[in-house]
Amino acid sequence: MKRRKLLQMLAAGSAFYGPWKVHHAWAQAPQKKPLVIGLTMDASGQFGASGTSERLGAMMAIREFNEKGGVLGRHIEALHIDTETTPATGSRVAERMITRNEVAFLIGGLSSGVANAIGQVAQKYGVVYLNSNSSSPTESGRDCKRVKFVWDGNGTNFAQAIVKNAIKVNGGNWALLTNDYIWGHNTSKATRELVVKNGGRVVDELMVPQGTRDFSSFLLKLQQMKPQVVAAAVGGDDFRAMRQQVLQTKLDRQFAWVNNQQDWEDVYGLGAEAAFGVFGTTWYYRFDLPGVKEFVEKYKKTFPGMQVKNPGNTFYNGYVATRELLRCVEEAGTTSNIAIIKKLEGRKMTARDRMQHHDAWIDPATHQVQQTIYMATYNDKPAETDDIFKILSNVAPADIVDPDAPKACKMASYQETPSYEQ
Amino acid sequence: MTGLANLTPHLLNGVSLGLMFALIALGFMLIVGVMEVINLAHGSLFALGAYFAIFIVGLNLGVGIEARYALAFFLAPLGVALVGMVLEVAMRRTYGRDPLYGLLLTFGAALVIEELIRLVWGSTEKQLPLPPDLSGAMLIGGFIYSKYRLYASGAAVVLILLLYLFLEKTPYGAMIKAGAHDSEMVRALGINLTRLRLFVFALGAALAGLAGIVLAPIWGVRPHVGVDAVVPAFLIIVLGGVGSFWGAVVAGVLVGIVVAVTGAYASEWSLLSMYLLLIALVTWRARGLFGKKTVLEN
Repeated sequence: MKRRKLLQMLAAGSAFYGPWKVHHAWAQAPQKKPLVIGLTMDASGQFGASGTSERLGAMMAIREFNEKGGVLGRHIEALHIDTETTPATGSRVAERMITRNEVAFLIGGLSSGVANAIGQVAQKYGVVYLNSNSSSPTESGRDCKRVKFVWDGNGTNFAQAIVKNAIKVNGGNWALLTNDYIWGHNTSKATRELVVKNGGRVVDELMVPQGTRDFSSFLLKLQQMKPQVVAAAVGGDDFRAMRQQVLQTKLDRQFAWVNNQQDWEDVYGLGAEAAFGVFGTTWYYRFDLPGVKEFVEKYKKTFPGMQVKNPGNTFYNGYVATRELLRCVEEAGTTSNIAIIKKLEGRKMTARDRMQHHDAWIDPATHQVQQTIYMATYNDKPAETDDIFKILSNVAPADIVDPDAPKACKMASYQETPSYEQ
Repeated sequence: MTGLANLTPHLLNGVSLGLMFALIALGFMLIVGVMEVINLAHGSLFALGAYFAIFIVGLNLGVGIEARYALAFFLAPLGVALVGMVLEVAMRRTYGRDPLYGLLLTFGAALVIEELIRLVWGSTEKQLPLPPDLSGAMLIGGFIYSKYRLYASGAAVVLILLLYLFLEKTPYGAMIKAGAHDSEMVRALGINLTRLRLFVFALGAALAGLAGIVLAPIWGVRPHVGVDAVVPAFLIIVLGGVGSFWGAVVAGVLVGIVVAVTGAYASEWSLLSMYLLLIALVTWRARGLFGKKTVLEN
């Protein structure tokens, strides 16, 4: 071979091999489009702290699936935009995620007002939406949607678990402290009905506007009302401020406090005494159940150096909701909304899998996860700093079903729900 | 119990709450009055005061919590004053220009400070530990009341009086007041206006920080706690009359009483009531309670 010919061949080889080495994508099979999940979680506002936790829960589930190769061979990407504990923002974020970011699903929701707003947008486009942590009874009642699935226990579930026994132990004169928005209203409504049904009476109800930081006038008024039980449906930063002020005045010892649901982030870091009263939760990091220790360890390993050292109920809900959705996608072999909705409706989940005491299921008539509810109080014998809850009892989901939800829930049919697939 | 006897504890509670509101508004009033700058970073400086105090109280200095708390009460506002001085230097290019520039800059500064707090201290709620003597409850007229709230109201009264004496009885106070009245004349008299503005901004920031320390055990401490402070502060200075010292104090107390009484008798209106008060008062008297008459009203 002549020298000139050899050089020509080398040049031609280099011209082909060089770009192929660097940009060889064309030479392979086409990459599958990533599956984008829109995380509509509060990072600021009244539920900023809890919203951050549920986001981490969803992220951990997504990471687990990506480590196994994603779902349907597609890498899963999470897109988070702060919903600011504001319904208008929730609505805008959902609209943007669907129309501009082409998300396959939406997950997230602490404030029921925000969740309701997101649910309306999701239904308009047919996007499956998991309301992971908001717990107004209306979310699976009046405001239910074909595309929306409610992952948390609601105000009625918690009230059913707690009211009857609290009347028996503490007395029948109740005062209600109600956060002045949809979750507070409906939770207090459920509490009021159960108090009356069980022979008690509500002496008065004080509405607490969202964003209240000073509770002194409420606490003085309670002293004037002299109830035996104070049932508080106050959440997020408002609840944290209230707890601190109740502790300062030692009013935790003056009345029996029933705090409908206690999110972990709303009491974390305030000291064990701040967990006064009896309250409900859906999960605790020190359950002596299979898988709990490993789950907690995984949280610590995945998110080292977190200020919240142990995961709470909002993280847990974010995780199990996302995991179950991705399992449904795998089982259905598609991201088509109707196929996923059918997989979720009536879905049964074992207690072991969910790290709870009773099996859970998704009610096909309301789309709410029916799950174990735990009654808890302040832990006077903590095993470690974070061990601030003493779990008093657990109630099976069948015993605390919201009886009014199926009657109130009128969801669109499959045919009325727009088809959606990403 | 009669109606008046029922109402009295809420009125007294309102005065206590109002004094704390007035404390929040004073620094804001000072900066608006002298520099004609609406400092939207006031809330973030308020939050910063609380965080600095938490840091100082948490230090292992080998002394009791009382000493660390006292130290925090003096050092944290100084730290906030330094931040305020940096902010004032950044603001100099906006003087004499459209007030929107100052508004935007302080709004940006508020966001930056809040994010810095998030980076340094994290997003979760913090608590400012109190010396045992300051915490707990006491019985007043048959009602259980927080001991700390009384001390906080007392601290607000002392700080308001000290600021008043400083403004009225010292040459520096005279310069500040003169600066608020006619800054060009002050400059013509040979007073260094640049330094005066720096000092006023530092003082306003320190007052915001002090208010943050006083309110921290009641409101709790989180990065966005400043938002809860800046809105009432703004409302109070408009209500009291922009630039009026006693206007801010009286308006603060008035807002406190209105919030406390509505909290007890029409609780769903308790937050809204202060805005309704503002609308009613400004409709009746546009310059606020103690505001100076403008040429437009002649």
